[in-house]
Amino acid sequence: MGTIEVKGLTRAFKDTIAVDQIDLTIDHGELVVLLGPSGCGKTTLLRMIAGILEPTGGAICLDGRDITALPAKRRDIAMVFQSYALYPHLSVYKNLAFPLGVRRLPKAEVDRRVREVAASLEIDALLDRKPKQLSGGQRQRVAVGRALVRDPQAFLMDEPLSNLDATLRTQTRQELVHLHQRLGATFVYVTHDQVEAMTMATQIVVLNQGRIEQAGPPSQVYDSPASVFVAGFVGSPAMNLMPARVVGRDGFVELVGEDFTAPLWPGQTDPLEVTFGVRPEHLRLLDGPAGADVEFHLVVDAVENLGHEEAVYGRAEGARVCLRRPRDGAATPRGLSRVGLDRRHLHIFDRASGRRLEWVPDAPNQAEPTPPPPQHALAGVG
Amino acid sequence: MFITLEPSLDVAPAPPLAPGDRRPGDRDAAAGTPPTPVWAKAGPGGRAGRTASDKASAPAKRLWARRVVPYLYVLPATALLLTWSYKPLVETFQLSAYDWNLLPTSPKTFVGLENFVEAVTLPEVGRALTNTLVYIAALAVFSLVLPLVIGLAAQQVRGRWKTFYQALIFVPFLLTPVATSAVWRWLWADEGGLIPLALRALGLEVGAVFRDPQLAIVAIIVAVGWQLLGFGVLVVSAGMAGISPDYAAAAALDGAGWGRITARVTLPLLSPTLVFLGLMTVLLAAPWTFSLLDMITKGGPVDSTTNIYYILYQFGFQSFDAGLSAALGVIFFIGFGLVALVFVEATERLSFYDD
Repeated sequence: MGTIEVKGLTRAFKDTIAVDQIDLTIDHGELVVLLGPSGCGKTTLLRMIAGILEPTGGAICLDGRDITALPAKRRDIAMVFQSYALYPHLSVYKNLAFPLGVRRLPKAEVDRRVREVAASLEIDALLDRKPKQLSGGQRQRVAVGRALVRDPQAFLMDEPLSNLDATLRTQTRQELVHLHQRLGATFVYVTHDQVEAMTMATQIVVLNQGRIEQAGPPSQVYDSPASVFVAGFVGSPAMNLMPARVVGRDGFVELVGEDFTAPLWPGQTDPLEVTFGVRPEHLRLLDGPAGADVEFHLVVDAVENLGHEEAVYGRAEGARVCLRRPRDGAATPRGLSRVGLDRRHLHIFDRASGRRLEWVPDAPNQAEPTPPPPQHALAGVG
Repeated sequence: MFITLEPSLDVAPAPPLAPGDRRPGDRDAAAGTPPTPVWAKAGPGGRAGRTASDKASAPAKRLWARRVVPYLYVLPATALLLTWSYKPLVETFQLSAYDWNLLPTSPKTFVGLENFVEAVTLPEVGRALTNTLVYIAALAVFSLVLPLVIGLAAQQVRGRWKTFYQALIFVPFLLTPVATSAVWRWLWADEGGLIPLALRALGLEVGAVFRDPQLAIVAIIVAVGWQLLGFGVLVVSAGMAGISPDYAAAAALDGAGWGRITARVTLPLLSPTLVFLGLMTVLLAAPWTFSLLDMITKGGPVDSTTNIYYILYQFGFQSFDAGLSAALGVIFFIGFGLVALVFVEATERLSFYDD
């Protein structure tokens, strides 16, 4: 088993708090990706779980056992470092055998497990080489192999793909996902690359300034970002975010932007300053008679041909806007265009707090309509 | 109908050429002139206004500069090396075959290998060699073993005090040996010296240390060792700072404790540094002790503290036997050269480029 529980975990450096009272439960067999920009505390969190950095507050439990005070060597957790940290003076074989030798396993058993792991990672031809004689991809495999060979409770990975080139990264990404499925073990994976997070994770934890912004499966993080930060960080090109107001008028909740007013739902609300967001693929050019729930104008600056689609960049009132659409041979938009989106693709965030707002339809028997409750509660992982 | 698309280097379709007009880059074979850059047509004062002679001399100047300038950079260092190292070295080799008393007026007599025969048969040389080996072994404790122990212990010390302690240990290395010699002589003085007084309190009577053939070398070793310790600690901590902390972290996660991490990871990665310190000790044990010998014991009593460099100096500049001194110098030069080669080879083998 490998269930990792983190309670109120904090790490303060001299005058900064890198990790600020994080609560997180990582269930056995999950592949949890800690995602965030550099300096968000994701590596600090991982190093505290590994036991190579002492927390200044809080607790870490592995399968219900408090391991906060346990040194790294007794935690039974393996880690793949960003630098790989392969022992440069030892051959690949001895690197792989190192964790087993420490455990005083019989020679024959060590040999069997090293060769088994080497074969499964297709590095068995490299066993006699020194790390400096290996390519980046091979080193990465050896680093994974050294973690694999001892069959630990959990695997921690600190940006293991960041030193590989783009092609190799895509391939290795898939191999790691296969590995996770084959082992069924707990993986905690740190990255700042949202593509890696989306494609690999069973759960994504988005971190910002030492706190959890959102935790949930990739589809949830992408489809319902819990805050403006998550909305802007996950997705490429990023979600379009524009200032607007929500008002209640004539029994309708309306979204009022710089150059548009769009009725959204029947109901009543107090006026509220919001940020509204829409993903580039949900925004469409309105060149025919058909309209959309929310419409506004856009001055097209540039159109990028990406091969499988095109990205249209432009300026709306109050924000820069990006729109993606298939290359179906339609005329390239120029100048002033009308764009629109459907109500179901609209994301609304409270301007002051940055948190996501969800509209809950008023109950028909209710006399007084209630304003939409801001969704502050984070979905816990697992 | 299919048409085959030819790969084209032209990004934009070229406009049709007017007669007499040239595209930039087209060579005019008949005139033999280099292609004119388009901007050269900009007008008077532009690059087109340069004369032909300018064009011819500029590349020649550049070639001259490229050939000669690098040698100018290395000239000062080369000149100093030739004057102060290699010229005396060659002269030492020459001198070793002559008998000469250093007086410019007296003749040099060619004696062949006689000086070398004398050098290897003199009993003083044997004693100096033995003493030098004792110095190397004893000073290795101060320049290699203790710094390693201190360096490993210092891994546990964190924060700003670490630098302070390192500085404190390094300071003796910066002091002038002649000055420290004087202080050590007072410290060891048989009448009122601090060390004999302290030892007397413990019930040990040492007497006049520098006149005791057994104890004099110990006193010299302690004084030089005290100076070397800081050097060793500095080199070891620099070596340790060069080892990525990821290795120790990875080993800890692999289940290794402090002892195993030290033995299997830290020490192997530190070995090039340790080999370097070993080489320094072997090559420099004699020069390092030289100034104390000259200041305090003059190699005595009865040659008990002398070393190979001091005896060489005595033969040359006190007995004025330049030939014998040069012959010894040649022997030591070759011997230490071989030792250095072995160590350099070992360093090459032990180096793990951390990339």
